[in-house]
Amino acid sequence: MPRRRIYDPLTELLAAVLLVVLVLVVNRWEFSLAVLVLGVLPAVLLSGRPRQIGLAIALVTGPLLVSSLLLHGLFFPEGRTVLADLGIARVTAEGLSFAALMGLRMGVFSGVLLTAAMTLDVPELLASMTHRGWNRKLVFVVGSAVGLIPHVALRGQRITRAQQARGLVVGRGPLSRFRALLTVLTPLVIGLLVDASERNRMLEARGFSSPGVRTSYLPDTDSPRQRLVRRCMVAAVAVFSTVWLVASP
Amino acid sequence: MITLESGSFAYDDGPTLLPDVTLAVGPGEYVIVAGASGSGKTTLARLLAGQTGGDAGSSFRGAITLDGETVRFDGASTDPRIDAAAWSARVAYVAQGGWGQLSMMSATVGEEIAFGPANRGVPAGELRRLVTEVAAALRLTDLLHRDPRRLSGGQLQRTVIASAVVQRPRVLVLDEPFQGLDDDAAQDVAAALAGLRRDGTGVVVCEPMLPRTAPQGARVLALAEGRRVFDGPLVEARRAGLPRYGIGTAGDPPRPEQGAGPAPVDPSAPELVAVARVSFRHAHDGGGPAGDAPDGHAPDGGRAGGAGLSGVDLSVRAGEIVAVRGPNGSGKSTLLQHLNGLHRADAGAVTVGGLPILRQPTGTLAATVGYLFQDTDQQLFERTVLREVAYGPRAAGLAKDDAARRAVEVLEAMGLGSLARSHPYELGFVQRRLVAVACLLATGPPVWVLDEPTAGLDGPTRSMLAGLLVQRAGEGGAVVLATHDASFADAVAHRTVWLEAGRVRTGDAAPGA
Repeated sequence: MPRRRIYDPLTELLAAVLLVVLVLVVNRWEFSLAVLVLGVLPAVLLSGRPRQIGLAIALVTGPLLVSSLLLHGLFFPEGRTVLADLGIARVTAEGLSFAALMGLRMGVFSGVLLTAAMTLDVPELLASMTHRGWNRKLVFVVGSAVGLIPHVALRGQRITRAQQARGLVVGRGPLSRFRALLTVLTPLVIGLLVDASERNRMLEARGFSSPGVRTSYLPDTDSPRQRLVRRCMVAAVAVFSTVWLVASP
Repeated sequence: MITLESGSFAYDDGPTLLPDVTLAVGPGEYVIVAGASGSGKTTLARLLAGQTGGDAGSSFRGAITLDGETVRFDGASTDPRIDAAAWSARVAYVAQGGWGQLSMMSATVGEEIAFGPANRGVPAGELRRLVTEVAAALRLTDLLHRDPRRLSGGQLQRTVIASAVVQRPRVLVLDEPFQGLDDDAAQDVAAALAGLRRDGTGVVVCEPMLPRTAPQGARVLALAEGRRVFDGPLVEARRAGLPRYGIGTAGDPPRPEQGAGPAPVDPSAPELVAVARVSFRHAHDGGGPAGDAPDGHAPDGGRAGGAGLSGVDLSVRAGEIVAVRGPNGSGKSTLLQHLNGLHRADAGAVTVGGLPILRQPTGTLAATVGYLFQDTDQQLFERTVLREVAYGPRAAGLAKDDAARRAVEVLEAMGLGSLARSHPYELGFVQRRLVAVACLLATGPPVWVLDEPTAGLDGPTRSMLAGLLVQRAGEGGAVVLATHDASFADAVAHRTVWLEAGRVRTGDAAPGA
């Protein structure tokens, strides 16, 4: 079951963004690891769809981690403590720790942002932004960006089903699944492009570009207290970041 | 109220459409624009909706007058642009195909209906009142909390119409609004339109055929190959000999070239489809966002009809054509998708062409069962018509050249040879549907499963399809089709099975005509 929503989506999204800012500012592997273990991991497990989110994080972070490990682990110019000399490449302790720092940081980025994006109730987020009186085009851009993942997934499933109904055999092995993924890509991209142009026309026809303030059918899930919390969060992160950056050598 | 004076219209370098066609719609009027595939009715509907295509390389010469204001077009790049937001506040347009008209910004049917008025800043309380009212009129109240992307075809169609009706436009233009609706839903839509007309809205309805029933005083503008062939009251249109332009009357039986109906079924013929005590529940049908299903799998490819199946039996022999009928959301598509393995029964057994459907991949069944989706756009995915039609034979194991040759043969036989290099998205609705049928023919499976095959077809194409089904059965194949088209089912099917809320209605397995 999807988790029960406690906070307004804006609060959740802001918390995710601020967490990313903090990780960037603090810039220490211990902090990144703590956020990963104490923040991202429980959030993924409690999201109600840990499998999909875990897979998405692995897909995004995996290749980045490997390349970071190869690049910094083997070719770190400032590396002093040589653990293994491989001729043109040297495995150094400094290189490995830098790779770990970068890897953890990327893990936190993708973990936090993907978990937020994949658990957000997009219409509720849009409703919340509309109630706050945000510009409707901006609302649409945010909505399209955050809502892209489920939309692409749904569209991809429909094409796969059509292909299967027409003879595409998808086996249980990873290789067969990967081939099916490749087969679905071209029609998926073309379909999304056609969708995008038709959607533009359809949105116009339904008055999306009307001037004036847009209203929302959904009730406002935001509250004065959450707005206050959001302002405090921003202020706290801003103050902390300034102090940290000034105080740190 | 609105007047369209078309001098000419052309897409890119295409032929000239709508030369000297004038259409004026007054308050409360009901105008039917009738025409076969390629007649220009959708072009006309788009022009009324203010989509003159100037930004897409089309050239329109003429004028559109709305509430006394006239906008003139000379087919030049300096032509004025219609402000879509302002225009659509007065002229609402419901295009064909429900899926493409969803805003994709709504998680529930309620929000989807409210999308238009919300864009125009209607206050929240008023918004809720309008949505409740329209939902009640179109019997959508029970669906208001559902995800619009997961409705059955008929439910989706009603949602899209409700989204236009709720805007209380001065003019409402609908392109084949009754497509895929059961009789009750069609009556609800007609009643909603009547309500709008009482309040002064002019209604324009595009149809491939003349309707069997229409409001009193309905007018007809009939088009053929982009030209006007009739303009006058519906009663006169019925006597105007329009069938020679491919404009029949809805509810007329199809007239396949072969003339005869299906041959009698040999009782000793092998059973090609056997469904025994099948029960099924959709894995997920809440109001959550798409892709929220526990297994990440959208039931019915995102269009689950609600009802699952409960103890359904069905047997179809070689040479037999069986129609499955029932109201929108009664489980017709769900049953059909059990026959090609897109759904797997929770309980009971499905055997097709002697092959029990167990856990084998769906794709391995395609050589035995051919499937025509209700939404053709869901079916086509290749970048040319030729590749599309050759896909099935290729998947069935033919070499690339042989598959292409087979595809060309089928396309030529269906009169689609000239479209081989076109992108399926460039084609009109009926042509796309024919391409989907060509895919079935090229692959050549013994069992055909068709979901609403006649929805939106014009008279000649509908008759051609009837001929193809009868021919398939005559060659020893079996055909199962879900349809709301009673006269088509009566003409081609040996018998009809009625579904209601996922169960076969007993005592109704009446033979067709």
